[in-house]
Amino acid sequence: MSLGVTEKKLDNLHWPLVLCTLIICSLGVWNLASATKNAPVIMALVQFRWMLVGGLFIALLLLADYRWLQTAAWPGYVAAIGLLAGVAFAGKKVLGARRWLQVGSMQVQPSEFVKLAVIILLARWFARDETGLRKGHYGILDLLRPFAFILLPVALVMKQPDLGTALVTFAIAMTMVMFAKVKWRDVAIMVVGGAGAAVFAWSRFLKDYQKQRLLTFLNPEAYAKGAGYHAIQSVIAVGSGQWSGKGWGEGTQNQLAFLPEQHTDFIFSVWAEEHGFLGAVVLIALYAFLVLAALDVAANARDKFGSFLSLGIAALFFWHAFINMGMVTGLLPVVGVPLPLFSYGGSSVVADMLGIGILLNVSLRRFMF
Amino acid sequence: MMLVRRDADDIREIRPRAALGALIVVCTMLVLVVRLYQLQILRGDVYVVQSIANFRKSLFVPADRGVIKDSKGRTLVDNRPSFDVFLTPAFCKGKERDEVIEKLQDYLRLGQDDVERIKLDYQKSWFSKDKLERFKPYLVMLDIPRDQVDVLEAHKTEMSCVNLIPTPHRAYHAPTSLGHVLGYMSEVTPEEMDDHPEYRRGQTIGRRGLERRWEKELRGADGKQNIAVDAKGRELDKDTQEALIPETERLVPATPGNNLVLSIDEKLQRAADVAFPGRAGAVVAMEAKTGFILAMVSRPSFDSNKMSGRISRAELKAISEDPLKPMLNRVMNENYHPGSTFKTIISFAGLESNAITPASTVFCGGGYTMGNHRWRCDKPEGHGSLDLKHALSRSCDVYYYTVGDRVGLDAIADMARRFGYGQPTGLDLGREIPGIIPDSTTISPESGSARAHAINAGIGQGEINVTPLQQAVAYAAVANGGDILLPQIVRRIEAPDGKLIREFKLQVLRKLGFKESSLTAVRGALRAVVNEPGGTAYRSRLQDVEFAGKTGTAQVMKLGQKQKLDPATLAYFSRDHAWFAAFAPADDPEIVVVVLNEHGGWGAEAAAPAAAKIVSAYFKTKREESAPPAPPPALPPPPPLATSSMVQ
Repeated sequence: MSLGVTEKKLDNLHWPLVLCTLIICSLGVWNLASATKNAPVIMALVQFRWMLVGGLFIALLLLADYRWLQTAAWPGYVAAIGLLAGVAFAGKKVLGARRWLQVGSMQVQPSEFVKLAVIILLARWFARDETGLRKGHYGILDLLRPFAFILLPVALVMKQPDLGTALVTFAIAMTMVMFAKVKWRDVAIMVVGGAGAAVFAWSRFLKDYQKQRLLTFLNPEAYAKGAGYHAIQSVIAVGSGQWSGKGWGEGTQNQLAFLPEQHTDFIFSVWAEEHGFLGAVVLIALYAFLVLAALDVAANARDKFGSFLSLGIAALFFWHAFINMGMVTGLLPVVGVPLPLFSYGGSSVVADMLGIGILLNVSLRRFMF
Repeated sequence: MMLVRRDADDIREIRPRAALGALIVVCTMLVLVVRLYQLQILRGDVYVVQSIANFRKSLFVPADRGVIKDSKGRTLVDNRPSFDVFLTPAFCKGKERDEVIEKLQDYLRLGQDDVERIKLDYQKSWFSKDKLERFKPYLVMLDIPRDQVDVLEAHKTEMSCVNLIPTPHRAYHAPTSLGHVLGYMSEVTPEEMDDHPEYRRGQTIGRRGLERRWEKELRGADGKQNIAVDAKGRELDKDTQEALIPETERLVPATPGNNLVLSIDEKLQRAADVAFPGRAGAVVAMEAKTGFILAMVSRPSFDSNKMSGRISRAELKAISEDPLKPMLNRVMNENYHPGSTFKTIISFAGLESNAITPASTVFCGGGYTMGNHRWRCDKPEGHGSLDLKHALSRSCDVYYYTVGDRVGLDAIADMARRFGYGQPTGLDLGREIPGIIPDSTTISPESGSARAHAINAGIGQGEINVTPLQQAVAYAAVANGGDILLPQIVRRIEAPDGKLIREFKLQVLRKLGFKESSLTAVRGALRAVVNEPGGTAYRSRLQDVEFAGKTGTAQVMKLGQKQKLDPATLAYFSRDHAWFAAFAPADDPEIVVVVLNEHGGWGAEAAAPAAAKIVSAYFKTKREESAPPAPPPALPPPPPLATSSMVQ
């Protein structure tokens, strides 16, 4: 790639997406500063550093055509699975779950990158497989192979256990399948089959605390000081924000530690408490814009691979944002899912930035043949 | 090129699905917005209240309990600062709990039963169904001494679950003989807290006597201090406090309780206590014309300070097993045969029914016969021919067997009830028994005919049972000319600043309406008991004041063998009760004194001298208080009302 071309390409960069990302990142750091005001480490600064690292990755990604990712799909997938297996054996145990790998002084959460690996591999598969073209649609049996790609990492993530990430990974993959040529009848069959599988998983694989979380979701008041405490305190935080919020650093639920995990899973409660309904709607609009922009990139991609890649990234942001905000507002059960670029965590931030990078790359090269 | 074309087709097919996806995204996000609108706008105020409730904690500010004073303004009961030790189970579990209890045992020098109680309370709290229960501090030790407060303060940091709570404690300055009158305080029970939510765990509530009767007036209302805490319950710094809690809501001051002013005169109370010679019994001193009680002794009594404070299980057990029953208020809650003191009532029954006149005589030959049963007189050789004055002053049994037989059981019962026997007197001091007045409808035939009962009743035996308080009311009526008064012990209820809230006035329950001649005759005879040679209490007469009264020696029921008492105790419990009911001065009575010396023997020996001392003490005090203070002579003597105005 010559520098001359790069200059021209910059005009084609999806600037609204870049701008949206920058706004979310800035608000995220600002909000995190409030959520961790009383913490000994300046976590907002750490988060900011990871965003810079992510930005650097985006720049690097943009240098090469995204199509090389087709080549990298399998090695990447295998590497991700390897990391997950590594977590299962050598992972660092925090609060009863093995989710982190110690790399030097850093802790890496491989499950965040596994989502990207799955997206890339599925995109590659749908781009290359010609079954859909030949038959005009995909039957359920034709989808067995992609399902196999999905189930292995999902099972490993469940094993950690990390119900939220497993669910999100599965949801992202399923969303991608929906965009392939699948008949609605088959979709219905898969939904019913999925429900059956869920019941089976409930009885066989879910840990007691995971069941407890889902049960408390159904009746939080019954567990006010127990498992439902998180959900209730979060709803109180959000609700007490009213129209315009209590102001930055003034949220009592946040500052006096009534909110659990206020810098990770419940970061949106902090935002909603301190900036109210208006602030929350602005943030929701930003995430909606991000997802819609990703869908736009998908619809205008140069090839099927790029299109499916973007769909996957759109699904990644959509499910994370929806499940997280649904969870803290009491619409969904409490499953640990981070809010993209808002929740504290290096792995999650870098993975999200890589996703943005892929979107930008696909959109940048939409006119190139 | 081929591949690219097919791709382009596929992407064209993706477009409608992407559009559908976009629609779903927008709809889902709108669901979130609607949810936020519901939470933040529609229900926002509810959650604001809940978020405030999260960090706002109310500490209670205990109200000072009202003080109790005697009629002269002397403090009988007040409060003193002290410290109670509390433990919060949630803040020390497992090994830490054992260590803390061990330390407490050491620092507070606890006994084994205390340690067991503390552990038991811990378990109860920890395993309570209510999960918040373990966050509530419970009482470990009441009212610890100053040196232990210092030790605990020094070791505060090693025992974060232990709190020293400054709590005003009740201090009883009155003689212990007032125990039954004053009552005591003890920790409120969970059942009581269910009924009265204003009580907090570890607080005390009045038990027995005035403390219980006037709990509502004495208690006042606790105040509140609102503070801000974080999720772990730690108090926040001053600036944050001030930002979070409006100044007007920071402190709701406590309202102190009201004070009681009694009719009891502490000086006379002490005199009565000293004068009473027996191991067990009762003394009541009452104003003859008002019914206000000046002194009230029930012996043995309990120490209100001890009962309100740290009392061990062994001590409580000793009290409950004491054969003399210290917790029994003998003044109003025990039945006694009145013995010869009842002859006064029989006299009125005879006079008012015209069965006798003051001058009519009865011959005493040492006994009274009905059928084949003979009732003996105290004086075996007989008193000879006697009129009312001599019969009553010498306490001739035959005279009263005769009168009893003449008027009959129902007339006796009727007269007794008019005097207030057989029913509670109405003294507002908790439980009171009615006594027993038999009539023809209540006696069982096996216990003898109504006539036999009437003959026994003539000398206050048989089934007749009275309380010392009833005796005081009855003799006050004789003394004041026929008014049955409501006995009262509280004169005033005052606000903490001394403002009068309620004043108790004399209450005449009913008038006896006796013939003047009957009253004169009986009062003359009662005067003769003390003041004429041959009177049963002649030896107890006083130089300075002429008083009247009646002795009584009541036989007690034989104890069954099952009581399993040692011979000395058995001998004690088989002895007669000694009574003396007095009023003074004889001509214009001011005070009624009733003395009951349980198992004291002869009324003349074991009760009358005590009554005389109490009467004497009353008039001595009265003279002292009305006399102008001697020095300094330069000042003019204050007007006689000065003392009484000081009482106000």
